[in-house]
Amino acid sequence: MGKVGGFIAWERIVPGKRPVGERLADWREVTVDEDPAETTRQAGRCMDCGIPFCHQGCPLGNPIPEFADLVWQGRWSEAYRRLAASNEMPEMTGRLCPAPCESACVLAIAPAELRALPTGEAGGVPSLVLPGAVTIEALEKAIAERAFAEGWVVPRPPRVRTGKRVAVVGSGLAGLAAAARLNRAGHVAVVYEAAARPGGLLRYGIPDFKLEKHVLDRRLAVLEAEGVEIRCGVTVGAPDGPSWEQLRAEHDAVIVATGAPRARELDVPGRDLGGAVLAMDYLTEPRRSSVPPAASHDVRGKHVIVLGGGDIGSDCLGTALRQGAASVVQIELQPAPPPDRSPANAWPAWPLVFRTSSSQEEGGVREFAFRTTHLEGQDGRLVALHGTRLDSGAAVRLPCDALILALGFTGPTATPPGVALDERGNIATDASYATSLPGLYGIGDVHRGASLIVWALAEGRDAAIAVDAALRR
Amino acid sequence: MHDIALLVGYGAAAVNPYLALDTVTSLRADRARYVQALEDGLLKVMSKNGISTVQSYRGAQIFEAVGLDAELVARWFTGTPTRIGGIGLAEPGDEARVRHARGFAPGADGLPVGGLYRWRRDGELHKWNPATVATLQDAVRRADRTRFDEFERLCDDEERALVTLRGLWTIDEPAAVAIPLEEVEPVAAIVARFVTGAMSFGSISAEAHETLAIAMNRLGGRSNSGEGGEEAHRFEVDANGDSRRSAIKQIASGRFGVTAHYLVNADDLQIKIAQGAKPGEGGQLPGAKIDERIAKARSSTPGVTLISPPPHHDIYSIEDLAQLVYDLTAVNPRARVSVKLVSEAGVGTIAAGVAKTHAACVVIAGYEGGTGAAPLSSLKHAGLPWELGLAEAQHVLVENRLRDRVRLQVDGGLRTSRDVIVAALLGGEEFGMATASLVATGCVMLRKCHLNTCSVGIATQDPALRAKYTGTAEDVVTYFTFVAEGVRRHLARLGARTLGELVGHADRLRVRPLAHAKAARLDFRGVRGVPAHHVALPRSFARAQPWDLADHLDHELLRRADATISGGAPVAIALPVQNSHRAVGTLLSGEIARRTGARGLPDGAITVALAGSAGQSLGAFLVSGVTLALAGDANDYVGKGMSGGRIVVTPPAGARFAPESNVIIGNVALYGATGGELFANGLAGERFAVRNSGARAVVEGIGDHGCEYMTGGVVVVLGPVGRNFAAGMSGGTAYVFDPAQTVRALTNMDLVELGAIGDDSDAWLVRELIAEHVRRTRSPLGGRLLDHWEAMASRFVKVLPTDYKRVLAARRARPASAVHLPVAG
Ligand SMILES: Cc1cc2nc3c(=O)[nH]c(=O)nc-3n(C[C@H](O)[C@H](O)[C@H](O)COP(=O)(O)OP(=O)(O)OC[C@H]3O[C@@H](n4cnc5c(N)ncnc54)[C@H](O)[C@@H]3O)c2cc1C
Ligand code: SF4
Ligand code: SF4
Repeated sequence: MGKVGGFIAWERIVPGKRPVGERLADWREVTVDEDPAETTRQAGRCMDCGIPFCHQGCPLGNPIPEFADLVWQGRWSEAYRRLAASNEMPEMTGRLCPAPCESACVLAIAPAELRALPTGEAGGVPSLVLPGAVTIEALEKAIAERAFAEGWVVPRPPRVRTGKRVAVVGSGLAGLAAAARLNRAGHVAVVYEAAARPGGLLRYGIPDFKLEKHVLDRRLAVLEAEGVEIRCGVTVGAPDGPSWEQLRAEHDAVIVATGAPRARELDVPGRDLGGAVLAMDYLTEPRRSSVPPAASHDVRGKHVIVLGGGDIGSDCLGTALRQGAASVVQIELQPAPPPDRSPANAWPAWPLVFRTSSSQEEGGVREFAFRTTHLEGQDGRLVALHGTRLDSGAAVRLPCDALILALGFTGPTATPPGVALDERGNIATDASYATSLPGLYGIGDVHRGASLIVWALAEGRDAAIAVDAALRR
Repeated sequence: MHDIALLVGYGAAAVNPYLALDTVTSLRADRARYVQALEDGLLKVMSKNGISTVQSYRGAQIFEAVGLDAELVARWFTGTPTRIGGIGLAEPGDEARVRHARGFAPGADGLPVGGLYRWRRDGELHKWNPATVATLQDAVRRADRTRFDEFERLCDDEERALVTLRGLWTIDEPAAVAIPLEEVEPVAAIVARFVTGAMSFGSISAEAHETLAIAMNRLGGRSNSGEGGEEAHRFEVDANGDSRRSAIKQIASGRFGVTAHYLVNADDLQIKIAQGAKPGEGGQLPGAKIDERIAKARSSTPGVTLISPPPHHDIYSIEDLAQLVYDLTAVNPRARVSVKLVSEAGVGTIAAGVAKTHAACVVIAGYEGGTGAAPLSSLKHAGLPWELGLAEAQHVLVENRLRDRVRLQVDGGLRTSRDVIVAALLGGEEFGMATASLVATGCVMLRKCHLNTCSVGIATQDPALRAKYTGTAEDVVTYFTFVAEGVRRHLARLGARTLGELVGHADRLRVRPLAHAKAARLDFRGVRGVPAHHVALPRSFARAQPWDLADHLDHELLRRADATISGGAPVAIALPVQNSHRAVGTLLSGEIARRTGARGLPDGAITVALAGSAGQSLGAFLVSGVTLALAGDANDYVGKGMSGGRIVVTPPAGARFAPESNVIIGNVALYGATGGELFANGLAGERFAVRNSGARAVVEGIGDHGCEYMTGGVVVVLGPVGRNFAAGMSGGTAYVFDPAQTVRALTNMDLVELGAIGDDSDAWLVRELIAEHVRRTRSPLGGRLLDHWEAMASRFVKVLPTDYKRVLAARRARPASAVHLPVAG
């Protein structure tokens, strides 16, 4: 159970980040690896609570006190086994998860002290700095990286095949998690992916500075060695691809994991001016210094506005800074959240507080409570953005020659014909992810709406268990 | 552990846990340690049940089954009580098959976590879990009724998931009987029936302890001191009108800080026979949690672990209990005395016995409650649900026409208004919410109570952690008010204007139709029904117990000493005494404590010369300023709980026998004494100065088990000691005159070491005490020792607890303000 009184003796320390100047000069991951001795101490801070709220806070229900204790005892390979049993890809959550587990950790209860520090922490979506919480996310990354380095992550193909076939449509984390598990249970799992390469938003969306793509490739190699077949360039339901009916006819089950890519639009005059792009188009290309971006997506020397104060806006901000934008303003419609939890937002709920992402600490200006009214153009090209400050009512004109729209997502673009949707347009399912069509399941963003990778992994895993049970019946 | 305890308890002479041993080996762990753990565990289980040898434990069958079919029990566990029926052999068989399938399924990743002791998402259902804890805290902090309804729904629904007996029942609330809410008694009348759990100051921080007291005093309910004493400043009312005084003062086997002053500052004196969540086990407070403040309240030494002995050394029978009830009534006649029992088979008989001791209230504690400090061996398989114990106590009391003489209180996992209603229907009149009230103050069930590392500042004494405490009395008040409001809504639906009307009406409970295979065969007829021929008998409290103090000797003392107590001149009183005069000096002491506080009176203020044979409990809870000088002899319990003053016992004038070879006082003298002096010119009986924490005594010989569990004070024995001397002694010092060198063989050496009278201060102390003994009693033996002191001093053996010695040395090495205590382990 860690070290008695460890959390008193040692402060919470999260892995450091590279200096901003260095970060902006390349596309590599921002976070540096932690000294294993520090990781061990941090693991020793976990108290193995009678009610581990962390474990409840994690959508995957990861066995946090267990793996923390194993790390504390130096039993890293067992820690990996324990963690991998519930989390198919800890190297991803260890980098990208906003770690709701940490804000639910009992050591995060400190109403007076609860502050979002001026800097975001950990590599991925910036997680709130909580005074005392166990550094669970960093532990996950350390365990996963150690496991890869030591060669503990080996393909585990199934010993027997059941003869059942499952099609998984979409190779985002939800699809991959489901396929991995189903394959290991002995079913043939075939993943159909529309894009040229697998990985979903992890490959085409999340920038390298949060997740270097070799991390994804490393995992894909394991999955393929285990027998998961991934067919890229196949768009299910498109004229040139297999139809949903065909897929269902050829497989014992079909899992839809196609994501929620429909972007929310900006509905103001001037939207059609040249110079405005959707975040997902902007981010889609692999961001490596060696690959020159398409002209429309190159903001070098430009005055950039990112509309949308969320995580995706932040990713655009970081990308624009790395491309060498002259200036970047990130605008949010809502007022800035409070620095502390409000009474109605008590622990252990996810804290709705002001945060600063790693990209936001690298530069740029943040605006809150700002409504865009129209875009001003010259010769068909954008020159300025007009808006109103919601607090004062003042009208503002911001010069701008590149506008990136990161206003969030509104749901799936195309769904299997005939499947029941919920009121928000996502695929509706029961508790075991079964849709209204027999043998058809829906998981990940296509089911939840745009969400988090930890949810994608959780739904992938749980749907695999449900499908497996159904196939064995 | 439970497996082994069960097998041996059912008669196995040897157990070979080969699979476990193989597993230990495959984990590359030490088999010897595993076996050792089992042995220790079995010993613990035995000791909790008051059994000392495996021979008597083996085959003793001290079990009760809950949820096993009578036929199955008759065949395989012959003789074990099983009251509500339940499963046969088929159901566990099915479960084994499911487990097997789960373990050997393709792709199965290791074993499930289980979550038996710690909550896990896919593990065993725990009634306190993230949802219930967080919802309750959110509800009380924001005083949000809707959130509280949600909390109650979560709890009550969970119970429907078949984790409690009450979850198997519904309350019969036919629409036809409902009355308007306005007609139901107010919240204030209901909260007056609520109490918080007995959690000692020491196990929880001052902040948390006082929060509960303030809240309950605001509400008109009662908080419970627990067994750790209480700081005297809390007996004064705060400037804003709040009171931090716990209305219930507990008297547990350890008798920590149980002084007259403590006892008079109570409305309810609760004798804790056992604790529901860890029956048979005394409290244990690790040294790390005992700082100067805690130690002061308990009259113990900072840094020295405190163990409450499992039994009360003054209670071995119902008569003994009656004596303690009498003593407590004498010291504080304004308080009622309650007796806390655990829910177990046979609790009804005990409750009936308790009712006959003239105690006013019987508390039935179920197994669900309990702090995180309860050892793992007590979390499962120990104790029974309160539903069973309460129903049994109710039945037996009604049947024996004793029910109307006592109130019944129940605790152990009560959280919601529905729980309260069910408890009332089964016979409960007062309701304890222990854990729930702590959760309202911010407890998140870390279960780290024993480690002093509670990160929310409740079960810790670490100042840095206590600073994190955020609980408020308002939150606790809100909690109990919400529960009471819920109770009112139930009452309206049940058509009852008061909660009292429903007490004992178990016929309003219905068994839910249960689809679950394991629940289908349960039979609650024995629990719910009232036998037809008893329907007319009283089912709840109706008349007070007889008043026992009418002929107490102290009425005379009080009359004559009244002026002295109010600050007048010293007084000397001479009275004859006979053995029907019990607790002489106790009523007087209570009155002095009430009027003068902890200080008492100056030495010599009241001197009472008694002649004759004193009855039991002479000088119990005696206070400073009172000297009882008895010429004659005294029965058991002399100086029990004495906190000051002096008792001198000499043979009757003109006696011609040698005092040092005649018994002059009975058994269990000075039990739980916290101060004062005793000089006995003769031999004392068994269990002398057990759990003494501050009294000084000179006696000329003692029986078996002397100085057991002593934590402070000085005992000088001028003659023989009996067997098992100084067992469990963790503080204080004993000096034994040992010319024949027999003490070593008679001493229990587990915690103490023997030595000679060491430095000058030692020799001076012993000599002074003997000189005082001779001055007061004219002891011939004492006189002879003083006459030849130089030669005699070396024949004394000094008995000093090892841990205590270490702490004393550390304290001597540092200035008092900077004591940093080395803590064992
Ligand atoms: C820029 C950005 C940054 C983010 N950062 C984070 C972060 O730091 N942390 C975090 O937790 N979450 C983050 N998220 C959210 C997270 O990435 C998603 O919630 C998660 O990846 C969803 O996984 P998915 O498998 O459901 O869908 P996706 O990853 O969207 O995968 C869907 C896949 O299905 C394919 N597909 C769609 N239709 C078809 C079809 N008809 N036939 C075949 N294939 C098809 C798509 O090409 C795609 O590859 C981020 C999202 C974005 C956009
Ligand atoms: S997956 Fe995310 S929420 Fe779960 S333990 Fe890891 S960091 Fe925490
Ligand atoms: S809540 Fe925090 S301290 Fe408790 S088990 Fe989880 S990580 Fe450890």
